[in-house]
Amino acid sequence: MTKYNIWFFSSVIIASFVALPIITVFLSFFSETSSYYSVLKNTFLYDYIFNSIIILFFVILITFFLGVISAYFLSFYEFPFSKFFSWALILAFAVPGYIYAFSIIAFFENYGTAFSILTFLFGENNYNLFIPKIDGIMGATLAISFSLFPYVYVLTRASFYYQSNNYIEVGKNLGLSSRETFFKIILPSARPAIVAGLALVSMECLSDFGTVSFFSINTLTTGIYNSWLSFDDLNTANQISFILLLFILFLFSIEIYSRKEARYHQPGRGFKPITKIKLIGKKALIPFIICSVILFISFLFPVSQMIYWAIKFPKYFHDLNIINLNLNTLYLVLLASIFIVLVSLFINYGDRVSKSRILNYLTNFSVSGYAIPGVILALAFITFFSNVSDILSENLNIKSSKGIFIGSIFGLILAYFIRFFSLSFNGIKSSYEKINNSIDESAYLLGYSKVRTFSKIHIPHLRTNIILVMLLISLEVIKELPMTLILRPFNFETFATQAYIYASQDLLEAAAIPSLFLIFWSSILILLSSRYILSTKN
Amino acid sequence: MKKTLIISYLFLVAFVGNLFANEVNIFSARHYDSDIQLYEKFTVKTGIKVNVVSGKSGALEKRIIEEGKDSKADLYITADAGRLGAFEANLQGGLTSSVIKDAVPSNFRTSKWTGIAKRARIVYFAPERVSGAELSGLTYEGLADPKWKGRLVIRASNNIYNQSLVASLIKNNGKGKVTDWSKGMVSNMARSPKGNDRAQILAVAAGEADIAVANTYYLALMLSGKKGPEQQAAAKKVKPFFPNQDGRGTHMNISGAGLVKGAPNKANAIKLVEFLLSEEAQNHIVNNTFEYPMIKGVSPHPLVVNMGLDFKQDLKTKVVNYGKRQADALEVMTAAGWK
Repeated sequence: MTKYNIWFFSSVIIASFVALPIITVFLSFFSETSSYYSVLKNTFLYDYIFNSIIILFFVILITFFLGVISAYFLSFYEFPFSKFFSWALILAFAVPGYIYAFSIIAFFENYGTAFSILTFLFGENNYNLFIPKIDGIMGATLAISFSLFPYVYVLTRASFYYQSNNYIEVGKNLGLSSRETFFKIILPSARPAIVAGLALVSMECLSDFGTVSFFSINTLTTGIYNSWLSFDDLNTANQISFILLLFILFLFSIEIYSRKEARYHQPGRGFKPITKIKLIGKKALIPFIICSVILFISFLFPVSQMIYWAIKFPKYFHDLNIINLNLNTLYLVLLASIFIVLVSLFINYGDRVSKSRILNYLTNFSVSGYAIPGVILALAFITFFSNVSDILSENLNIKSSKGIFIGSIFGLILAYFIRFFSLSFNGIKSSYEKINNSIDESAYLLGYSKVRTFSKIHIPHLRTNIILVMLLISLEVIKELPMTLILRPFNFETFATQAYIYASQDLLEAAAIPSLFLIFWSSILILLSSRYILSTKN
Repeated sequence: MKKTLIISYLFLVAFVGNLFANEVNIFSARHYDSDIQLYEKFTVKTGIKVNVVSGKSGALEKRIIEEGKDSKADLYITADAGRLGAFEANLQGGLTSSVIKDAVPSNFRTSKWTGIAKRARIVYFAPERVSGAELSGLTYEGLADPKWKGRLVIRASNNIYNQSLVASLIKNNGKGKVTDWSKGMVSNMARSPKGNDRAQILAVAAGEADIAVANTYYLALMLSGKKGPEQQAAAKKVKPFFPNQDGRGTHMNISGAGLVKGAPNKANAIKLVEFLLSEEAQNHIVNNTFEYPMIKGVSPHPLVVNMGLDFKQDLKTKVVNYGKRQADALEVMTAAGWK
C-alpha cells in the first residue's frame, strides 16, 4: 500500500523536474523548425555527429591508457614520490577542458609561449614553422582527455585496491607469472570499474561545450547552442538534443550495467590490501617518469601557462573585479550545495521511512539528471519556463513570470539541482544504508520522535559524507560552464564564465586570472575531498 | 498614525525619485574598459546615469528578444553593421537628430541605428614574399585569382566581419559571381580557416602565408605592444594594403548603436549617442580602440595614421546592405566549402 505522504509528493515533484528536459526535448522533436536554415541544418548535422564521435573515440582511447597505466603503477608498486602521485594525479580534475584548451592555444600558436621560450633559450629565429599547431579536433581531444582521465584512474585504482590481493594469490597458486596474472586475471576483473569510468568520461565528453566551442569545432553540443543563439531556432536545437540524448542514453545504460556488475566483484570477507612491490634505482625510473609526465601535462602545464600570462599581462589583474568574482562564485557554490544537500537528505530520509517501492523508482529516475548535457538541460529549462510563462500570461493574465526562472540565481540553482542531485543523493544514500534500520527502531522504542532520531542519530553518522558531498558539488559548480553561461543573470560572472567570455572576445590573456582562481579553488576542494574519502575508507 | 505618515512619506519620496531617475540602459557587446570611462564622463556632464549590461552580442540579442515588452534596454551597442542590420526587427526608428545627421555620413546610418566609429577590412602582406607588382590594383574580387593559390589566410565563414565583406561583394557583383569568387578563395587558402583576425596576421608574419584579410585596428593593437613584445615584433613584419583603390574604395564597417524597440529612455539614448559622436568622445574612442573616427576633425591614433590615411573608403556601398545580404553571404560561403 503506497502511503501518499509528503515524501511521495516531494519525490514526484523532484522526479518531474528531472524529467522536464527529457520530455521537452522529446516533444520538440515533432515540432516545426525554421525552414530558413533547413538546408544548412541538414549539411551540418552529419558534421556534428561525425565530429562528436571522432572526439569521443580518441578520448576513450587516451583516457583508458592514461587511467589504467597510472592506476597500475600506483596500485602495485612503491617508488619515489608514488604516494605524492597517487593524489596529485587527481588534480587534473581541477583543470576543466576549456582552460586546458586556452593553454594549448597560448603555448603552440604563432609567436606564442613556445616561441617565446625558444627565443629566450636559443635567440631570434623563425621557430613558428617548426612549432606544431595543436588545435581543432586534436586539440579538443587532448584537452578533454587530460581533464577527464582521473575518472578512469580513480575507479580503476579502487578496483585494483579492493580485489587484487586475492587474485594475486590465485595467480600464484595457478603458477602464473606476475605479468600473466595481471593481464589474465586482474585486468579483466577490473573491467566493470574501467568501463564505468570510461562511460562517465564518455558522457562528460559528449556533454562538453566549452572546449569544442573554443576550438570552433562543430559538434552536437555547439550545434545545439548555435541553433538557439544564432538561428533563434529552439526547435532545431531541441532536435539535435534528441540525437545527443540517444547517444547518452546508450552510454548511461552501459554505465549502470557496469556498476551493477561491479557489485558482484566486491571483496568478500578477509580482504587484505596489496603489499606493494618496492622499486628502487633504475626499475623505479619508468613509473616515475610516466607519472611525472602525466602530472606535468595534465596539471602543471596549464597552470604554468596561466601563471606566465598573469605575470606577462599584469594590467588584467587590475582591471578584473576579482573580489566580485570570488564572492559570486562563493555565493553560488554555497547556495547550490546547501540546497541540494538539504533536498537529498530530505528525500533520503523519506525513502528510508516510507519503504515504498514507487518512491524508490521515482528517486532512481531522478538521479539520472547527471547524464543530461548541460547545454540541453539549460535550453530545455528555458523552453519549458518560457512556454509556461506564456500560457500563464495569456490565460490568467499574470505578468511574465519568466524572470523568476530564466536569468535568475534561483533558476540557475534549480538547473544545478537537476544535474547534480544524483551526486548528492547517492553520496548520502551510500552512507545512510550503513546505518542499520534496527537502530531507528530502538530509537523509536525509546520515545525519540522521527525528527529527533534524524538529528541526534542519523546526522552525526552522515556528517562526514555530507561534507564530502558538499565539496564535490562545489567542485562541479565552480567548473560548470554551459548552464551557467546560458541561465545566469546579467552582469553576474563566475570564474568559468568570465574566463570563457574573455577567451571568445580575443582577450585570451585576460582569461588567465579567472582560470587560475578556478584551478586554485578546485584544487583545494579536491584535496579536501580526497582527505575525506580516505577517512571514510578507514 | 505617525508611523503610517512616515512610511507613506518614504514611499512617496521613492516613487517620485524613480519618476525622475535620469538614466539610460545600454546593452553593449563591446568589451573595452575605455567605454566605461566614457559613460562616466557622460554622467558627469549631463547627470544621466548609464547602466551597462555587457555580454556577447548573440546573448544580448537573445535577451532583448526574450524580455520583449519587459525589456529595459534603450541602446544596443555592437560592432559590425551586419549585426545591427540583422537585428532591425527589434529596433525602432527615431535615432535621428540634427546632431547625428551632421556627424554621420548617410551611408553609415539608418533611422534605427547609427555608426559611432569605423574600421576597414584590408589585406596584410609580407613584403619579402609579395612584390609591388602583384599588389598593384589589387581588389577583393582579385583575391580569388589563382596566382594567390596557397598563399592566403582568412578566418572562418561564421565570423560576422567576413559575412559583411561578402555581403558587400554580393551587392556590388551579384550572387553568381561571388559564388565563384568564394570557391576561388577556398582553393587559395594556405590552411583551413582557424583563429581570429590577429592569428591570420601572425600567420603571415610567421611565413605560413603571404597575404591575410583582417581588420585595420588589429595591426595597431599589436604594434602598440598591448599583446606582448613578440606580437609587436611580428606586426612589424607585415604591411597593410587597402584594396579597390582604383574602384569603389576599401570595404568599411562600423561600431554602432541601435535604438531598441520599447526603449523606456529614448530621449536619453539619443543624448548619449550624440555625446559619443562629440569630438571629446571620438578622441577617447579612437585612441583606445584604434578605430577610425566617424566625425571629421578628429585624428586617429598615430599608429593607425602610420598605416596610411589617404586611402579611398567605399562610401558608395551603404552598410545597411551588410545585414540585408547576410543570409546570402553565409549561404554562398558555405556552399563553396568555406569552413
